Amino acid sequence: MGQVGKRLALIDGVEKVTGQVRFAADDAVAGLAHAALLFSPHPHARVLSLDAGKALAMAGVIGVWWHQTTPQNGYNSAIWLAGQQLLADERMFPAVVRHVGDRVAVVLADTEATARAAVGLLEVTYDVLPAILSPEGAQAHAGPTVDADRQPTYLNPVAKAALDHGDVAAAFALASHISETHVTTPRSHHCAIETHVCRAWPEANDRIAIHSPCQSVFAVQAVVAQALGIAADRLHVTKSPIGGSFGGKAEPILDPICAFLAMQTGRVVQLQLSRHETFTATRTRSATEGRMRIALATDGRILGRDVEVTVDIGAYCTGGAYLPGSMLQRMVRLYDVPAERYRGRAVYTNTLPTGAFRGYGSPQIHALGEIALDLAARDAGFDPVALRLRNIVGPAAIDPWQGLNLGNARGADCLRRGAKAFGWETRARLAPGTGRFRRGVGMAAATHINGCFPGDDESTTATLGLQADGGIVLNCALHDLGCGSDTTLAQIAAEVLGLGLQNIRVTPADTDTCTYDLGTRASRMTYIVGEAVRKAALALDQAIRDAAALALNAAPQDLTLQQACVQSARTRISLADLATWLAARNTALPIATQTHRATANPGSFAVHFAEVEVDTLTGRVQVTDYLAAHDIGRAINPMLVEGQIHGGIQIGLGYALYEDVAVDPGTGRLRGDSFARYTLANAPEMSPIRTLLVEKAEPTGPFGAKAVGEIATVPVAPALVNAVNAALGTRLTDLPLLPERIILALQN
Amino acid sequence: MTLLNVCRPTSLAELVAVLRGADPVHLIAGGTDLLVGSRALPDAGRLVDLTALPALRGIDTTGPDIRIGAATTDAEIERHAGLALRYPALVQAAAECGSVQIRNRATLAGNIANAAAAADLIPPLLLAGARIAGLTQGGAECEISLQDYQAGSGMLITTVILPAEGFDPDSAFVKLGPRRDLTIARLNLAVTAQVQDWRLLEPRIVAGALAPRAIPLLRAASVLDAQTLTADLLRAFLDALSAEVDAAIAGRASHGWKRQAIRGLGIDLIARLLKLSNRDPLFDGVM
Ligand SMILES: Cc1cc2nc3c(=O)[nH]c(=O)nc-3n(C[C@H](O)[C@H](O)[C@H](O)COP(=O)(O)OP(=O)(O)OC[C@H]3O[C@@H](n4cnc5c(N)ncnc54)[C@H](O)[C@@H]3O)c2cc1C
Repeated sequence: MGQVGKRLALIDGVEKVTGQVRFAADDAVAGLAHAALLFSPHPHARVLSLDAGKALAMAGVIGVWWHQTTPQNGYNSAIWLAGQQLLADERMFPAVVRHVGDRVAVVLADTEATARAAVGLLEVTYDVLPAILSPEGAQAHAGPTVDADRQPTYLNPVAKAALDHGDVAAAFALASHISETHVTTPRSHHCAIETHVCRAWPEANDRIAIHSPCQSVFAVQAVVAQALGIAADRLHVTKSPIGGSFGGKAEPILDPICAFLAMQTGRVVQLQLSRHETFTATRTRSATEGRMRIALATDGRILGRDVEVTVDIGAYCTGGAYLPGSMLQRMVRLYDVPAERYRGRAVYTNTLPTGAFRGYGSPQIHALGEIALDLAARDAGFDPVALRLRNIVGPAAIDPWQGLNLGNARGADCLRRGAKAFGWETRARLAPGTGRFRRGVGMAAATHINGCFPGDDESTTATLGLQADGGIVLNCALHDLGCGSDTTLAQIAAEVLGLGLQNIRVTPADTDTCTYDLGTRASRMTYIVGEAVRKAALALDQAIRDAAALALNAAPQDLTLQQACVQSARTRISLADLATWLAARNTALPIATQTHRATANPGSFAVHFAEVEVDTLTGRVQVTDYLAAHDIGRAINPMLVEGQIHGGIQIGLGYALYEDVAVDPGTGRLRGDSFARYTLANAPEMSPIRTLLVEKAEPTGPFGAKAVGEIATVPVAPALVNAVNAALGTRLTDLPLLPERIILALQN
Repeated sequence: MTLLNVCRPTSLAELVAVLRGADPVHLIAGGTDLLVGSRALPDAGRLVDLTALPALRGIDTTGPDIRIGAATTDAEIERHAGLALRYPALVQAAAECGSVQIRNRATLAGNIANAAAAADLIPPLLLAGARIAGLTQGGAECEISLQDYQAGSGMLITTVILPAEGFDPDSAFVKLGPRRDLTIARLNLAVTAQVQDWRLLEPRIVAGALAPRAIPLLRAASVLDAQTLTADLLRAFLDALSAEVDAAIAGRASHGWKRQAIRGLGIDLIARLLKLSNRDPLFDGVM
């Protein structure tokens, strides 16, 4: 007992820090062939010809492929289920490349160096086409997204979402304060240390094995099947250990090509991107432009909001079509606003495609909402915390868009307890100073989802079984992205089964041996999968006690599992002995499978408080104090929860102050295409961080738990921007707050 | 397939023999510029690793001139007590290069030969009137001033000399990059002067990252010369720094920011030179 709530080390921690974990590219394999890609230097061009003569003449080159020699099936790399309706506008190698970094050709060779050298020898002619490099330009490129033959037209908007709730006109007519704020958010890159990589090889029965660091083996299977036009069951996908993802590896980008090459050549094929390629040819967070009008009553009630958002999703649809809706969903779950109008649209540009990134739309929409609300509070003379307390949703609130119950929503507790712990009242009143360095405090609230409900595939199946040695195996399509979800799930199982973590073995996802799961996304691991594991553990507990009842000649209800033993007041048997006893009688070892189908999607809430010091001469911002209050339901492992919060703050701090891949509006190239040019917050940029966990159980979560992984990064940027604006009296709303922008704002 | 051969001479004689050989010679020291992923290595000739040559290592501050071996690392410069006493600006610059790992490998001559606009060691070296001794492509000895050094000329630097008359213990270096540490300078400044009774005598200032090569800021330095440091004087100094930026990069995208940022960096520079905090009351009235 007592595993839940404990600060237990990662179950794979020692293996990781001692270098024993074998990442996808680590194992030496005889006969391994290496692929390297040729990328488009143009933002939009027709690929007219490819001369591979010189490349093919190189010793060690196995072959060269391009659009004329590869399948041209349309696919969408963001699907996670076969048949999912998302615009299938990607090709492995398109005849018309749509962004700098789009794929033109691939070389397969005996070594990576040969493959890369041969790529340099490919001679390609292009017909360069006009490119759209800004969302403004994209708006003019309007029309239907598909033509009569269901072919993508690349016209805008790709997707829309709208909400008209309550009487917005009346709300603004009644308001005592109206404010309007325009916020832009940048494109940011995931910066996982492991660059994108995939391995594939032929297996028996005309199948292809794919081994890659992914967020869903079933998504890989579905996407590759769509791209290659083959049956999904010909693909056997396993998840390798992953050196960071943050959403960047949610979409299988390399897997279709790698599988195709393995199929064509019968070789074990590896395709690994360089750092530069990972920056320029994978995915980023989408850039957004948003405008929010807020109508406030004299008592601080938000009477209405009117919101317009444009999302630049880049050159391919991917999951970008979901973003306007996702942003709306997250926006309306934070405050109780009687009248809302929302118009969101996603547009194509000839830039790197965007995709999943921690929070999936939440950081963008909450940056807009929370910066806008802060400026409204300032204009109307309200304290930012008091204003939010006046409006934040409470437990069991129903959201106006999907009509979902938000569960045990504890945003108000985060506001109250966070403000107290941070000393908000006193600190918010301090003058920023008049010298070179100005201090200010700021805060922001946020909410995020727990899983994909009401999506119809929001369920998962977990199996727990007793092994011959007395250990327990957890089988479920699990994708720990390094956040420690395997550890958290093992803790849940161990808690129910009276075991220690060391007794639970977690198997990584494998399409051949696991039942379907939609993967590590949407903050669903603890809340959804954790509940499936808890239910399976309860069922296994029952099965083990039933079996032990025979061995011990006791009634099952008198038995409990404790410390790897089944025991009653008078007798006990260890799990290992029980397994032996059962095996000797030719009896199956206890095993339990449970499917958990989500019935709710409660909100996780967070309120972050920051103090910054701004150098008014250089425009540099230093975060000097930080407090993060989180409505977590129950922290299964407080240490891992804090780790998620610390990491979320690092990403959010970069989002607020430094990070932007910055598409050059003239050439379509990324300016931030390496760690030298893309500024991340390093250790000296981090401030001391305090975390405050509000643990009020969510009835639908395992042991009351809710998600923390994504929300941890959501309120960070607006909290910091609000702090900078408080310190300087500015209205900075374009992220990131680069020194140039700060200096310009001070001069105006 | 690869025609690049690597050699690691351990004596000057061996080195000279390699230089006189027929193969084209490429030099490598710490490799922190040469081996960065985005750069192409030469594909033929001899790659000569200079890190095993004792003659190219070490710092001698015992004579009137300071002599520093070309392959001395940033970390060795950063930790050298004698150098810190005689010419702190260079020690401070080395301490602010890269990260611990980079400083353990990066060398003085690598920084000079790489000749980046943002190189941090070059401003204090130029300020000190540094001379560089070395070998020509044919292996002959030569010595020129750093001012006259042309990157890509093929000269192998063996020693960097700071002539006694060129520098002063009252010296300082400051830099400003996108983040606090492990950051490439968007601006850096080095100053040397004699500090006497709140006055800087014969101050000289060099700025990096304002032009393709580091440049002296003569006008800004002249504002300070022999004047008592008051808020008014400092303000005039900062105005002069902004004017220097205007002269150097007017019209560039970074202009507006740099002309303001250099005021902050200018205060930091004077503060460091005077061993004061940049929050000292002296600077209060300057804003
Ligand atoms: C992560 C990172 C951070 C960095 N941060 C900074 C920083 O903050 N400030 C800064 O100024 N620089 C920085 N640099 C750049 C680099 O570290 C320095 O320029 C360093 O001094 C180069 O020295 P090296 O010995 O590594 O040069 P190498 O890479 O070995 O060589 C660089 C060039 O110098 C030539 N060369 C080397 N030795 C000699 C010699 N004796 N004679 C003639 N030519 C020679 C080589 O042929 C080559 O052309 C950074 C680099 C990295 C990768």
